[in-house]
Amino acid sequence: MPLFEIFDPKAKPRPIGIDLGTTNSLVAYVKQGRPTVVTDCNSGALVPSVVFFGEQGTLVGELARRQAPEHPRETIVSVKRFMGRGADDAETRRLGPYEFAGPDEAPNRRVVSFKVHQRTVTPVEVSAEILKQLRDNARDEIGSVGPAVITVPAYFDDAQREATKYAGKLAGLEVLRLLNEPTAAALAYGLDQKQNGTFLVFDLGGGTFDVTVLKLEDGVFQVKSTGGDSALGGDDMDRALAEKILSDAHIERASPELVRRALDAARAVKHALTDVAVAGWELGDAKGEITREQFDVLVKPTVDRTIGPVRRALRDAGVDAQELDGVILVGGATRTPIVRQTVERVLGKEPLADIDPDQVVALGAAVQADLLAGEQLAEAGEDVLLLDVVPLSLGIETMGGIADKIIPRNTTIPTGARATFTTYADNQTGFEIHVVQGERELASDCRSLARFTLRGIPPMPAGMARLEVTFKVDADGLLRVHAIETTTGKEQSVDVQPTYGLTEDEMEQMLLDALDHGEEDLLKRRLAEGRVEAERVILATEKGLRDGKALLETGEEPQIRAAIDALHAATRNADPDAIRVATEALDKVTGPFAERRMNDAIARAIAGRNVEDVDHEVAAAKGVDAHVEEHEQRRRGGPEEKGSS
Amino acid sequence: MDPFETLALPRRFGLDLKLAEARHLELSKTLHPDRYVGAPPNERRLALSRAVEVNEAWRALRDPIKRAEAILRLSGLEAEVGETREPKPSGAFLMEVMEAREALEEAKASRDAARVEGVVREARAQLGDAERALARAIDPVLDQGGGAAELRAAIPLLGRLRYAARLLEEARNAEDDLM
Repeated sequence: MPLFEIFDPKAKPRPIGIDLGTTNSLVAYVKQGRPTVVTDCNSGALVPSVVFFGEQGTLVGELARRQAPEHPRETIVSVKRFMGRGADDAETRRLGPYEFAGPDEAPNRRVVSFKVHQRTVTPVEVSAEILKQLRDNARDEIGSVGPAVITVPAYFDDAQREATKYAGKLAGLEVLRLLNEPTAAALAYGLDQKQNGTFLVFDLGGGTFDVTVLKLEDGVFQVKSTGGDSALGGDDMDRALAEKILSDAHIERASPELVRRALDAARAVKHALTDVAVAGWELGDAKGEITREQFDVLVKPTVDRTIGPVRRALRDAGVDAQELDGVILVGGATRTPIVRQTVERVLGKEPLADIDPDQVVALGAAVQADLLAGEQLAEAGEDVLLLDVVPLSLGIETMGGIADKIIPRNTTIPTGARATFTTYADNQTGFEIHVVQGERELASDCRSLARFTLRGIPPMPAGMARLEVTFKVDADGLLRVHAIETTTGKEQSVDVQPTYGLTEDEMEQMLLDALDHGEEDLLKRRLAEGRVEAERVILATEKGLRDGKALLETGEEPQIRAAIDALHAATRNADPDAIRVATEALDKVTGPFAERRMNDAIARAIAGRNVEDVDHEVAAAKGVDAHVEEHEQRRRGGPEEKGSS
Repeated sequence: MDPFETLALPRRFGLDLKLAEARHLELSKTLHPDRYVGAPPNERRLALSRAVEVNEAWRALRDPIKRAEAILRLSGLEAEVGETREPKPSGAFLMEVMEAREALEEAKASRDAARVEGVVREARAQLGDAERALARAIDPVLDQGGGAAELRAAIPLLGRLRYAARLLEEARNAEDDLM
């Protein structure tokens, strides 16, 4: 179906929040000031993140899952685990019964691709199918779907984030923001309870584990630290249990079909053991039972892997477990009693689970989408702001293969940083820049994000050239890298193209393929998007003219008004390029005015702290030693910590 | 970029971090990209670059090493600041560091959590000493309108701060490994 239907002019588009999960996905929106999940008539709120590629067509969700026992290779489950992964990634191969495309068969060799029938599909395309289904479910309930916030595990790296954003684009969604899942959960809780304090979010999903420490203060959600493991989740419990079931059933070489059935049996046992002490299973002719004690022993290694990241997140935040005001559980796997017991034992606090742990992330995403789009909650005066962080350090490989960290983990985003390098050989005319992500000291132990070369540097003795590399991370947590050789001014800018990601061209091609009439539909879509953007800019500019009247210079207003009129005129034609040109012209003419308004807003924000400046004088009177002492304690997380180990 | 100017704070090493944090928050509320989602592109770009500056400034000021570096750099000592350019700390101090490091290695080898804890305390004490020494070397000079010539004496103290910070980090990593 044509994608531009999302711009149906009759119904007012509503922003949506999407939890694109490993096992299940959900979509939610804000209805009369409250976040609500979308349910469909068959399967309730949860859409299994399963896609079946059949000869007759594609199925998503429950219908796809039913195909899994018969068609394990054509039914892709837990696709999230493959997002942003390379074809040669060792992790990839052990993740299921799939047939992967060989290097000559896939159009894109770097990205892992599944072979389904005669075609190959990438994880981005599989995820896009799930997103389309969610979008359609939302449209059935609310009429018209507006922009979307999609959640990602906080611990997702750059490649995984890029892949998710592409999937949204491919599904025809305007992706307002990628939001970290634990932050979304906190948003759902925070708005619900209007509490101030420090919280830890423990998010154990199907395939990923995230832990986030954040502080809520007067509507500002400030993430202090985040950590986790992007390959740890409830699926690992299922696998451990499935292995036990296969071994109890005396099956030594299991076919993909049998593995899938054993995994289904394991999942059923896991769910049953949440409420009862013994659960039975059947696999073909074999049957048996498993007690909760046996289960606990089997999954303990998985559950224990969460403890290290929890401790490190607390330490990075400079917070002691006793100082936490609450622990929030997210993800279906946190229903398992042993997980709850472990959390309580490690943090000494009974966790909160008032909101359904399967729904809380989608609800929070809906809240954020609504706030960002300036809808109901924002109009009701909810003054909420999220300050999130980069989950993993970003750096560059330097001589000797060392990863030089340019932006350390847990830096508040958006952010930027600069570093200068030089040549190590005489007459070196190029720099190879290798961008890596991770905490390890050696670049080869970190995740490789991108490689690019800055060429054309004139021959100079070693150490003479000056290479300035700038990193910028936007509010989605996505990285842009810019490099310039300052003695010659030779420069190069790259959107970090993940080593395992898709290029802009490949993306465009996928988008064309997804549309029924290719080029023609793409033109319609660009036109619709251009008009929406033009309307938005005109409205915002007019508001700016009203609010910032005092900051206008003589003769400025008529110029701006003329540019607005020209843009209005352009939107009446069917030429997306003309709309873009007129939008850019308006942008240019309002530039100085925008800058004056921004400076005015900054001056007002600084003046707003004058009351606290009184506190500041008092504090200053304490003297340097007291400050240093106070700072020391804040940095190290306070004196209490000394007693803990 | 002058991080003190970005957050409208007096240029001092002994900075009021509570005020700095409050100002960072206040400016973030004004400039965060989330506040400009529906805004025209030029406002979005401007807000983004200012928000980046504000976050960079707060990151530079909250960390005592970066804060000292910023002050010395802004006072015209750019060419003398930086790990490879600074003079090595005194022999007596290096001895202290080496002893602490040996103690750490031994504690790690014997997996002795209490001893690692001891090194953490020791590193913290060294860090506190170095910070206090830097404050005494920098702030009176700035208060009296002094410049590069008088501030040069602070550079070796910055080196001590770096050593202490590294020791603390290693000790805390060892603590992690023992958990």
